[in-house]
Amino acid sequence: MEIVENLKTTNSHETDISAHLKHVENAIELNNISYYYPNVVEPSLKKVSLNVEKGKFVLLMGATGAGKTTLSLCLNGLIPQLLEGKLTGQVSVAGKNVGKTAVQSLSKVLGLVLQDPETQIIGRTVEEDTAFGPRNFLVPLEQIKQRVDQTLEKVRLKGYNQRLSEELSGGEKQRLAIAGVLVMEPEILVLDEPTSELDPIGRAEIYETLDELRRKKDLTILLVEHSSEELIHKADEVVVLNQGEIFWKGVPTELFRNLPLLRQCGIKPLPVSQIGWDFYEKGWISFAEIPLDIPSAEGLIRALLPKYGKQQWQQKGQEQEQRIERERERERDLGLGLELDQVHRRNSRLKQEANQSDKNSSVEVRNLIYHYNSEQPALRGINLTIEAGEFVALIGQNGAGKTTLAKHLNGLLKPTQGEVIVEGMNTQQYDTSDLSKTIGYVFQNPDHQIFSATVEKELEFGLKNAGYKGKEIRERVEQVLQVTGLEKYRSVHPFSLGKGERQMIAVASILVLKPMLLVIDEPTTGSDWVGVQTMMTLIRKLNAAGTTIIMISHDMDLVAQFANRVIVLKEGEILLDGTPQNVFSNEQMLLDSAIIPPQFCRLSKQLNDILGHETFIESSEFAAMFESKGTTGC
Amino acid sequence: MLIEYLAGDTLIHRLDVRTKMFGFLGFMILSFLFEDPIYQLIIVFCTGLLAFWIKIPLRKFMVMVVPLIPIIISIILMTGFTFSPGRFDRISSQAVLFYALPGDRLGATVGGFLMGTTFILRLLGMMIASTVLTLTTTMDEVTQFFQKMKVPPEISMMLTTAIRFIPTLDKKRRQIVEAQKARGTKFNEKGIIGSIRSYLPIMIPMFINSILMANSLSMAMLNRGYGLTRTWTSVRELSFEPRDYGTISLVVILLTLAIFVRFKLNLGVL
Repeated sequence: MEIVENLKTTNSHETDISAHLKHVENAIELNNISYYYPNVVEPSLKKVSLNVEKGKFVLLMGATGAGKTTLSLCLNGLIPQLLEGKLTGQVSVAGKNVGKTAVQSLSKVLGLVLQDPETQIIGRTVEEDTAFGPRNFLVPLEQIKQRVDQTLEKVRLKGYNQRLSEELSGGEKQRLAIAGVLVMEPEILVLDEPTSELDPIGRAEIYETLDELRRKKDLTILLVEHSSEELIHKADEVVVLNQGEIFWKGVPTELFRNLPLLRQCGIKPLPVSQIGWDFYEKGWISFAEIPLDIPSAEGLIRALLPKYGKQQWQQKGQEQEQRIERERERERDLGLGLELDQVHRRNSRLKQEANQSDKNSSVEVRNLIYHYNSEQPALRGINLTIEAGEFVALIGQNGAGKTTLAKHLNGLLKPTQGEVIVEGMNTQQYDTSDLSKTIGYVFQNPDHQIFSATVEKELEFGLKNAGYKGKEIRERVEQVLQVTGLEKYRSVHPFSLGKGERQMIAVASILVLKPMLLVIDEPTTGSDWVGVQTMMTLIRKLNAAGTTIIMISHDMDLVAQFANRVIVLKEGEILLDGTPQNVFSNEQMLLDSAIIPPQFCRLSKQLNDILGHETFIESSEFAAMFESKGTTGC
Repeated sequence: MLIEYLAGDTLIHRLDVRTKMFGFLGFMILSFLFEDPIYQLIIVFCTGLLAFWIKIPLRKFMVMVVPLIPIIISIILMTGFTFSPGRFDRISSQAVLFYALPGDRLGATVGGFLMGTTFILRLLGMMIASTVLTLTTTMDEVTQFFQKMKVPPEISMMLTTAIRFIPTLDKKRRQIVEAQKARGTKFNEKGIIGSIRSYLPIMIPMFINSILMANSLSMAMLNRGYGLTRTWTSVRELSFEPRDYGTISLVVILLTLAIFVRFKLNLGVL
């Protein structure tokens, strides 16, 4: 908190100074920019005018296709120098006219980090890659070495010099990509969704790096981003683009307290702000009191409960408190954490079920051990039963074995030891292509599978593989096109559509096979909030119709909201297994595997003297603690 | 050929890249001079010693060699039956072991089999030698070598990035194969047309992904000032050291000796 306060004061100080020298201090000036991609009628940017003051941290948000990437490409001249099309208006960056300066020269002033780190790393080793930029500018070798070391330290990759870039983790790769542009010592850093492909740890690493950079150096940062929780108190300003136009501009807290506005912008609201908005609508609190983090939400609930809370909660709070105290004592006596106990109970229950050879179970995994090559086992003794119709979320750190386990379900991987029985079929005896008729598997990146010239043909492919003929194919494709809302795109080339639609095509191409079990790996990475909602609504609908769903996800809010069972993997073993409420209340154990529970669960934990062991996962549950009637005046 | 650089500090690692390239050329000439498998065996043995010196990862090397075994066998058979006795100088090589077809046709000659063995040993020797070369040479040295040889910088940049992206593309390929398998693609359709057709679902996404990647790579390179000048700072200036002169003289002496043995003494032929 103190740091945030400090930042705020320095910021306001800076604002004072820059107010005096406004025209000199602008790092980025966009004047009436419009841009048309080649052969496109609609402009991607419409008369955008924007000034970014030197030293500011500006967040650029908006739905997919709003023009965020296009805008960032305009800033260093890649538009129009590399990408053709029609650009009008004037862009100047640190006093340089972008239209008249080569991209390469601009890179000394403005560093642009793109989305996919994989294609931005040019060197084989970390050092080779970082040195690439300065070498192009013929910086003397001694100086390069010095700069590379300094930059690597800044992005917290100190000592990685000789590591192969190929072997870095996702977060490290992205930080290397940032190092690659920072080493040229730009005054402005523009990052286009640098964290969209990363897990929470990787994301946190990037944000911390940016924070450090900002504190240490007078760097102007423009960050394009979807997720928001961590950034609200870091950014000075938010700019929201909508269909190529600047839709809103202002202070982050202002935007994130205004839920209807967020909805219009297509940005995901913070969970706790939903509770606050509810109170605000009832007239209990003022707009500025809408909480944006957990402590303030906690304070708010505590303050409002005596006044507006339902009777039962006040009483329950006291009773629970006594009970928890008793339980804690008991735990201490047993010397065993309650959590571990639960897992054991669950496991023994699973074993019983396995023995009964339940007909209804969709997936049965017994003593599954898997080794990649001859290294450390990636899975070490997984026992798991999943009933038909369940909605299971698989969570855990990168490398915990989520994908390895999931790939066993459709036979892409065969167990080294133990067995996997899916819908009554032992995967050892069946080929993936046979299993694909009953078990659908949607991969994270839709571009790895799309290869047909139209959406319709793409959907037909799986059916043809499965041996279906004419009429059956047509009917099924028709049905799925309707369910997924892809009807209007049926004869469009898949690659002319946006990422969200392509993701939907990937799902649709599996759905035509009417799988009984659907495994989805990260169905929402890189989608905007609207895209996420559409996708999750579809998955929930499928689940309601009886399809068993197994979803791998890093988005804990989604997991809590949609799954009815959560399995946490850690180092190839099942760490926790239970309902979202159960799993997310084990904050300490989750922390060990670097999972941060959703805001609501953390809030429930904070309020555990009132709620007891109950964990809420939806805002309506919190709202239910209070009187439903609104009173006027606050 | 293993492509990754193997960190180490042996003499071979420290040699100038031009010396190593020259040595490699010398080795090639040497291996093409002799037809006798005994001589080839000596050459392979020597390169093998070099390989042990730099501590070559044996397992990875075996992974590379094992799939070649069917090819090795078929090469020996092919040469055994196709080389006619008249092609050989030595009487012993001209001997025909047996005929595969009635009427004294398609005879298996001793020389043919020996020639086959030579081909195999040559192949093996080259694999070892090129592996030694690539394992001890960094990409940067290769780029500098191109520069010294007056290869245009665009081409050397292209080659180095191509090598950098081999593992990345291989990962892409695996992911695509898995994604398509999950949709029921079978990769064992019969006939040439069938097998081509079954690989379309792999090839098309592969092309599309490569193009997308190339696109953003070109942006990333421009972002980092590539193309501003046609040269760039060399990380290490190439310079000949005494050890380079020594090695080059050794190679030259060996080559002269070999040429003398081969053409004056007429040894090492079949």
